[in-house]
Parts: sequence; C-alpha cells; structure tokens
Amino acid sequence: MMLDLRGVSVRLDSRPIVHEADLLVDAGEFVALVGPNGCGKSTLLRTIYRALRPSAGLISVDGDDVHGLSWPESARRTAVVAQETPSELDFTVGEVVLMGRTPYERVPAADEERCARALDRVGLAGAEERVYATLSGGEKQRALIARALVQETRLFLLDEPTSHLDIRHQLEILHLVRELGVATLAVLHDLNQAAAFCDRLYVMSAGRILAGGPPGQVLTPGLISEVYGVRAVQRTQLVFERLKGEP
Amino acid sequence: MTSETRQEQAPAGVASAGSPRRRGRRFAALVVALAVAVVAATWLAVSIGAVHVALPQAWGIVADRLVPGLVPRTWTPVQAQIVWEFRLPRALLALLVGAGLAVVGAVLQALVRNPLADPFLLGVSSGASFGAVLVLILGASTLGGLTLSGAAFAGSLLALGLVYTLAQRSGRLTPSRLVLAGVALAYLFQALYSFVLQQAQSGRAAQQVLFWLMGSLGGARWHMLPLPAVVLVGGLVYLLLQHRRLNALAAGEETAVSLGVNVHGLRITLFVLTSLLVGVLVATSGAIAFVGLIVPHAARLLVGADHRRVLPVTALLGAAFLQLVDVAARTVNAPQELALSIVTALFGVPFFLWLLRRRSVDRAVTVA
Repeated sequence: MMLDLRGVSVRLDSRPIVHEADLLVDAGEFVALVGPNGCGKSTLLRTIYRALRPSAGLISVDGDDVHGLSWPESARRTAVVAQETPSELDFTVGEVVLMGRTPYERVPAADEERCARALDRVGLAGAEERVYATLSGGEKQRALIARALVQETRLFLLDEPTSHLDIRHQLEILHLVRELGVATLAVLHDLNQAAAFCDRLYVMSAGRILAGGPPGQVLTPGLISEVYGVRAVQRTQLVFERLKGEP
Repeated sequence: MTSETRQEQAPAGVASAGSPRRRGRRFAALVVALAVAVVAATWLAVSIGAVHVALPQAWGIVADRLVPGLVPRTWTPVQAQIVWEFRLPRALLALLVGAGLAVVGAVLQALVRNPLADPFLLGVSSGASFGAVLVLILGASTLGGLTLSGAAFAGSLLALGLVYTLAQRSGRLTPSRLVLAGVALAYLFQALYSFVLQQAQSGRAAQQVLFWLMGSLGGARWHMLPLPAVVLVGGLVYLLLQHRRLNALAAGEETAVSLGVNVHGLRITLFVLTSLLVGVLVATSGAIAFVGLIVPHAARLLVGADHRRVLPVTALLGAAFLQLVDVAARTVNAPQELALSIVTALFGVPFFLWLLRRRSVDRAVTVA
C-alpha cells in the first residue's frame, strides 16, 4: 500500500478539523478526495505532507510512519502539487523544477538532465530560462508537475490542481497526471471530473470520511444530497473531452 | 520519445547545459566586476577627506604598513596616520556594514516571502538601537555588564521574535500582518529609546547618540572590525550552504515542507542569524535605513532569484553602495557629516514607492 491512513484526526488551533479518517491509495492508483468547502479535505492532505501534525492516528507512506521519517526522506516519498504560486521572486522555470531535487544531493549535470526530461514530459520542453511568473496558469501547473516528477517519488498529492484553469487545461492537467502512472491522491472540486478520472474516490463531510470506493458506487443521489445539500439529477448532457492531437 | 532522442544526442546533460554554462560565466564576470568596484570605492574613500591624500599615496600608505619599505615614502606622517588609523578602518567597516545589512535584507525577504522586508521596516533595527541606547546611556554596569553588541543583539532578537509572533495566524504567516506588526514595533522601540534619551542627564551625550542612531561610521577604529567581520563571513558561509533551502523557503512555506525542508528549524536559525548580524552591525554604526531593502532587489535584477547567486552579489553590491554613501555623507556638506540614513533615504524612498506601485507587491501585502 502506497498511502495508508488509520484513524487520523487533525486539530487547528485546538478546533477539530478532521475526525478519524481512514484512507488507502494503492500503487498506481488515482484516488480522488471530494467534499464541500471547509469539510477538511485540504487539511487532511496538508497533514499527509507534514505541513500539519495529526492529533491522533497513523499516516504511513510506503510502509513507514511519515511523521517519524527525516524531512528529506519524507520528501523523497511524497511530492505535492498545490495551487500556491511559488513566489514574488522571479525564479526561472528551470530553477523552480530544480527545487524538486532539494531532498537529494545536488548532482549538477544529471539534475539538469532530469529537469529537461521532466519539462519535456509535461510539454514544456526548453522552457528552463523562462520566468515562472510569466507563464500562463496551465503552464504553471505543468511546471509544478515537472517539479514533482524530478522529486522521483512514488506518491503524488494534488490539492485542487485545476481550480484556476479553464476546462481544456483542467482536462489536460488531469490527463497528464493520470498518464504518469504514479499513485495519486487528489483533492478535487468538481464531482463530474473526479468521477471521470479516478479509480476510487472518498467523500468527506464535516471532517469525516463518509464513503469510499469506485465513483459509480459512492456517488449516489442519496449521498450527494446528504453531503452537498443538492439534488443529483441524472440526465443527458454535454460531456467535455480532450481533443486528440491538441497541444 | 523526444526525451530519448535528446539523451542520445547529448549525454550527461549537454542539451540543457549550454545556457546555464553561459549564465555561469556571466555570473563569474559580474562577481569580478563588483569586486573591482568594491576595491575602487574603498580606495576612493581612503583618499577623499579634509586632508587630501592622492590616490597613489593612499595606496602607498597601506602598502607601507603591510610591508614596510615596499614603496618609497612620498607622504607626511600626518597623512599616514589619518589614512591608517581613521580612514581605512572606517572604509572597511563601511564594507562590512553595507554587505551585512544587504544580506540580512535578502534573507528576511526570503524568510517572510515579502519584498518589502528589511531590517529597518520590520522593526529589527529599532530593537537593536533600543538595546544599544540602553547601554550607551545607562552604562553597561546597570545592565549586568552587557556589551553594546550584546544589548543590540538582544534588542533585535526581541523585536524580530515579537514581529513574527504577532504576524502569525493559525500557524501561518500573514504578509499584511507582518508589515503592520513591523511598523508598529519600529515605532514602539523608537519611542522607548527616545524616552531613554530624553531622560539622559547630559544633553550633549544624548545628541551624539541620536546622530549615531541615524547611521554613522565616524567612530570606526581597528578594534571594532573583527567581531562584525567574523559574524558576517560565518553567516555568509552558512547561508551559501543553505541556498537550496532558502530557495525552497522563498517559494513558499508549504512548498518548502513538501520539498523536505525542516521549515521550523531553518526559520529559527535564520532568525537568530539575522538578529545577530543586525545587532552587531547596529552596535558599530547605528541603524542605517534602506540598504537591506534596495540592494537585494538590485542583485535580483542582475542575477535572478537563486540565492546561490543572489547572496554573493548582494554582499558585494551592499559593500560598494555603502562605501559610496559614506563618501557622499562626508563630502557633500563638509566639514559637517551627514547621517548615513539621510543619504540612503534619498535613494531608498523613491525605490520603496516604486516597489509599492508594482502590482506584485500589492498582491503580496493584501493576500492574507
């Protein structure tokens, strides 16, 4: 098991945010975490990559308790793609991607080669010298995915990676991550997208994980109305798909 | 596919090494040019003053002191005394203070992810000044034998700790709160040392302290140089070893965590280091404004954001800048000297307003 959460609870300023969450991600799986705003899904994700400490429970990545690992070791196991813009400082794309090697010893030529390969893989070949802040939203996300790639981890965590993007770029990013084949836990906003892209999904509400499993079994009209307070209606509608051969 | 062909054509990273290598050469050339500028500015500073010493003579005096008899003596003993005992230590102190304040500015800007961060604006310099004033006015004996540098260090650490605590919310640092807390604490510490100065018995001593607080290298002597030199060189070496972590931290707190940086530990180290530097520098030369704000920005315009390049360039630029500022402060209104903060403000205020007008800064301050 790549990621294994057992009874994880998180408090922020002594307020309980996440309550006894159990969650699994297997090698190569793409798992989505959905739920209404403020349900605690981002908090749970931040706890997995050690921005927060759990108040109870165990988080293991690749068999070890992450909060017991050294900082660089946990970063060699888990990479994060969030929406945080890197900086007010004018880092170049190459410098941003190279940051993915922070948990490793610096090996100059080989690291540059890794960056070039990763940028190539996300469709930004040769963009090393461009200033990150001048990229479009979709390009920024792809550069951050390249950074996660050079981190050479077996687990990706995505925190709403597509929320600022238009529909085409949203699909592009999700396709890209799926095709990488790395075990992924993604906090996603859009239920339709989550259902379309993930192998399994977990639904969170008010700090608890209510259900988990394949989207077809979990996303029932009953659960959606309970969690989101909206009625789910199944009808024929436009479905957006990426065109083949588009950049 | 493309990545495979790339590998075949250009093993060992040659495909991407072209431009970084060119950039490496440009960086080396820039460092050499700046080092030359630092030496030139220092040479100028040593020869300019009420007693004129020609440039070759200034060089000869220094060479003669280091290796007696190396050059024929074409100067008077008075000239030699002025250059060696007053101007050279003053010029060297200007280099140390300029480099140190600029590096502190660069580190604080990365640490708090705010381009407006500066030891002066965050109240750190005021805290150090408060500590220094206590020692100068009340005397070291009243404060348990605390030295000037020690008191200034304690003051800057206290100020930075308070600013940091006040700016935090739910375990995250809020940029707008940070700037506001810094400004508020700067005023508080200024009020405190003004109060101490007003209570001082000798009006003349208070006036001297007040002048010194606005930045002056007039008191520089050889014995004042070793401590700032050791702290600056040690600090720079440590920071250069940490440049990758500094980059990650500048990219964001959570980013740094996800890249395997012990953010909490790194922050504490950087706090102590910057407070120590500011304390030691303020104890020698008072609180000089704006150097820590302007110089790192200029350095980033030249070499980008990577701290491996930013830190050395910032140190050299800061050294050259403060050397020229001190020359200006001594000559513009001679024989009166201007306080250094008056001169740096002439450059700093327009620069600060220009920064404020840039949208990126606006975002940095308002996004909470």
